[in-house]
Amino acid sequence: MQQPESVRPLITERHHPTGDTHERRPRETEEGNPFTFSPQLIHLHKDHELFEDGDITRHMYLQDLYISEADDKPTLSVSEFACHISGCSAVFSTLEEYEHHYNSLHRHVCCSCRRSLPSARLLDIHIQEWHDSLFAILAQRQDMYQCLVEGCGQKFRTSKLRKDHLIRLHKYPPDFRFDKTKKDRGTRETKRQQQKDTAMEVADDVCESEGVCEVMCDVLSNQLEHGESMETHVSQEEARMAKSDSTEEHADLSAAAHGAGNTSTESTKPRYSYRVPTSVCFGHGSVRGFRGRRGRRK
Amino acid sequence: MWRLNKVRHKAAGRHGDSLEELKLKRREHERALRQARRDRQLVSKRLLLNEDEDQPEVTMDTNSGEQDVVSLFHKLQQTGSEREARLKALSKALRDPSAQLAFIKQENSMHLLVGFLTGSDATCRLQAVRCLHELSHSPHTNVAPACLPATPYLLTYLSGQSTKFTELCLYTLGNLCPESDVVKEKLLAQGIIPALANCIENQRHNLAVVEAVGFTLSQLLQAKDAAEKIIPMVLASSLPSHLLSVLTPDPDFGLAPAIECAWCLHYLTCSTEDNRVLLAHGALLKCSSLLVSLGAAVAEGNKEEGMELLICPLLRCVGNLLSSCPVEDLSTQVGDVHIVVALCALLQAYLQTQPALARESAWVLNNLTAYSSALCSALLTFNLVPGLIQLLPFSQGINTMILRALANIAHKKKEFCVQLAHLGLLSALCATLKMADQEMVILSMDVLFMLVVSGPQVAEEFVRQGGLSLLEAIQYNSKGDIRRRATHLLEHHLLSYSVVKTYLLNL
Repeated sequence: MQQPESVRPLITERHHPTGDTHERRPRETEEGNPFTFSPQLIHLHKDHELFEDGDITRHMYLQDLYISEADDKPTLSVSEFACHISGCSAVFSTLEEYEHHYNSLHRHVCCSCRRSLPSARLLDIHIQEWHDSLFAILAQRQDMYQCLVEGCGQKFRTSKLRKDHLIRLHKYPPDFRFDKTKKDRGTRETKRQQQKDTAMEVADDVCESEGVCEVMCDVLSNQLEHGESMETHVSQEEARMAKSDSTEEHADLSAAAHGAGNTSTESTKPRYSYRVPTSVCFGHGSVRGFRGRRGRRK
Repeated sequence: MWRLNKVRHKAAGRHGDSLEELKLKRREHERALRQARRDRQLVSKRLLLNEDEDQPEVTMDTNSGEQDVVSLFHKLQQTGSEREARLKALSKALRDPSAQLAFIKQENSMHLLVGFLTGSDATCRLQAVRCLHELSHSPHTNVAPACLPATPYLLTYLSGQSTKFTELCLYTLGNLCPESDVVKEKLLAQGIIPALANCIENQRHNLAVVEAVGFTLSQLLQAKDAAEKIIPMVLASSLPSHLLSVLTPDPDFGLAPAIECAWCLHYLTCSTEDNRVLLAHGALLKCSSLLVSLGAAVAEGNKEEGMELLICPLLRCVGNLLSSCPVEDLSTQVGDVHIVVALCALLQAYLQTQPALARESAWVLNNLTAYSSALCSALLTFNLVPGLIQLLPFSQGINTMILRALANIAHKKKEFCVQLAHLGLLSALCATLKMADQEMVILSMDVLFMLVVSGPQVAEEFVRQGGLSLLEAIQYNSKGDIRRRATHLLEHHLLSYSVVKTYLLNL
């Protein structure tokens, strides 16, 4: 029976029952296994696009237009690479370019406030100073602010003292961006629409960072402008909680974010999320945004 | 018949065309063909040239052509002694499209031609059929249907013995086939399929005629609704076995008859998913063994001119026949495991010059490896995997198909996974996971999963290559499907103690 052209699938996949004797991996037994590959026989219909070039050559031959050496060499194309970090749409023609992009912009990024830092150490310091509630407590009693220069080792009671040290001893320029605070992104009440995305809860106005943070900050701030309206407002409190130790604690963060409902109107813009480097996140309870939300998705 | 060297660069200098202009015309033609295919209107006609012609010449201007035709027609209506000469002149005049229109507008013009076609004078018959052939090749849509009164006779003559005459009849019919549904209906009713079957059977030794039968049949089989009526009739006839027997190219005559028959087989296999009849005729065995020898020739550098015109339909036949072939019959139907060697040779040979052909080869490789452990094993045994891995950078569907084939191998056995990892697939995946093509990324994740769970040594190697940070980055991918895979791998398979320990020790 003939189906109308539009309905007939052009690729038909046929799965054979296991009539053969080779061992099959029991993947399907694992709970929630997201991997879907299975071998497929692909039948291609006459009009399939994969057949286009060959058909054209055939008809060129029928019409006496065939020549064995092609006039112009058909361009064999190479796959591009793309940064798939949510919100980043950069595309590259070589792997090296991709790696450079990734290492420069995504590697040492604070998951709480989305700032990108030039190195793992500075990221560590940033997180410690701005997203660690314990730090704030300890800083009241002892010298906690580390010198930013590697190897110096000195610690100071306040950030101002550290800044003075950096200027006087390490000859940092006085106008190095110590005092600029991060732009207050406002308290947006727009809640996200429920979507499958890497919902990194963002602490908008929490991170009044100083020092080296600012250097990289602007790069990403610019990239983020378009995403601003998507940010969920997260209170300072929640942001601090996000950095707490227990692995599942940040589930609360997402709950707070989502509990208020999902009525954002701008549903098509990508979310922004960051990678937290292994030295901080690995095996510990730092925020990995979607992780806490996993249980909430279907 | 067509000899390929005949058509190469139809005399540069014809009509004062420079090489550049020729190139431009070719490109325009190609564009038009592509559009026609998208509109499902891809149809071609063939013009059989006269013996004294080297290329189709339309040198006369249209006005005189039309006048010539009309006056010739009038003269032919009178009895006289110069009929042969006049008919010959008429056939030449009918090369011109507007003359064709003028001719059929004349009342009783077709009646006249049919009269000569069926008359007692053999030379007049030949000239008459040549006139019809020119008419059948017309670009005007109302010319060909005007030839319908002649078709029953053309079909009858297919069982005749005169080579040139039979060829002309066949190509004329072939040009008429795709004209319209009305024409097709008539031809089918008049018995074109049995006539073609008889013709190829009786003229099996005459390769020029065989080529013409192949062409005509391919025109029929290309019809949009061929699967409904035409294909069942063809499958029920003796045509499939004859088509298969012609596939092996004759070294003296050349590829042309094999090319036509291969395309017929392609249209038969791609229009339906149930290819049991063809499988029963041994089509898969024949096509795959032919590919083995062609692949070997290509690998040695013996690329005969026009070989891809034969390789392409053969690949498609094998690919589509495989999808109808029951798993248990694979070994008998495919026969020689060296088919995988041939396919890889074709892949490499045509990658730069004809990427589409390389892509089709990769597709066949996927179908071969989907359910056959033996063929997967052969790919490893013949050391073809490193070559395949090197093709993973190439897009437009090539790398996705090849990765599918590699995934098929991994899917069979853990031992295969270990071998694949050892041959460099792990590091290749670290690159493919960063590609822009989401299908590649998802496929890469699935393959990575299979490799990693195959054994601790593979998991550890992956970690050693920086896999953990790679996966952690992927956890921030914009697509949920991909994120979930990365998380699953990390949490269930890579963060076990031994793996972590190795990682930490190597920091």
